[in-house]
Amino acid sequence: MLMMTRRAGQKIVIGDGITIEIVEVAGNTVRLGVDAPRSVPVYREEIWTAVRAENEAAATAASSATELPAAPPAPQAPGDGS
Amino acid sequence: MTQTLKSTRFGDVEISDDALVEFPNGLIGLRGTRYALVPHDATGTFLWLHSMDDPDLALPVTKPWTFFPRYEVELSDSEAERIGVTDPAQAEVFVTVRATGEAKDFSANLRAPIIMSGGRAFQVINEAEDAPVRAPLFAQPVG
Repeated sequence: MLMMTRRAGQKIVIGDGITIEIVEVAGNTVRLGVDAPRSVPVYREEIWTAVRAENEAAATAASSATELPAAPPAPQAPGDGS
Repeated sequence: MTQTLKSTRFGDVEISDDALVEFPNGLIGLRGTRYALVPHDATGTFLWLHSMDDPDLALPVTKPWTFFPRYEVELSDSEAERIGVTDPAQAEVFVTVRATGEAKDFSANLRAPIIMSGGRAFQVINEAEDAPVRAPLFAQPVG
């Protein structure tokens, strides 16, 4: 992995169109600004990893368990989505 | 016009062009950009998002409000700009379903819905607070 030291206000450039700016450093928190082409999605890594795992599970689970119920039972109580 | 979808689950399925969906950025962590939306049965509660290029790749999806009437999708400005949809109400919204084991274990990913409009679709990150990646679909076991 490429390592480099940057200070607040400095940037790195990736390829032709992606710029990452170190906006602020406070304690162990770094605030970054990402400037990327509109077509490039940018994710927080832990969310990307969690979503990838769900997508893979949905795709693999379904290959053996194809017995989806035909219709849902009554919807859950409002707000009961957690 | 139709195309033939080759599926290890369903065999050969004729797909009309209006059921084809292009994911310019793919689905997070999965291969391919060309999918078809195939109803699981006549009720239309569950559908399969099936890869047109990989006979083995398919995910069950459903419309979130069927199960979560108060579900909300909030997009960041950059995400809305990327997909070209500022108001999710103007698009179709689906969530992926993890159909593992028994129905009572099924869950939906409310954090990363799929926004579909005009034959194009994007999986986005929902910024709304109450949006777990694994929300149980059924409070009670299905009889």
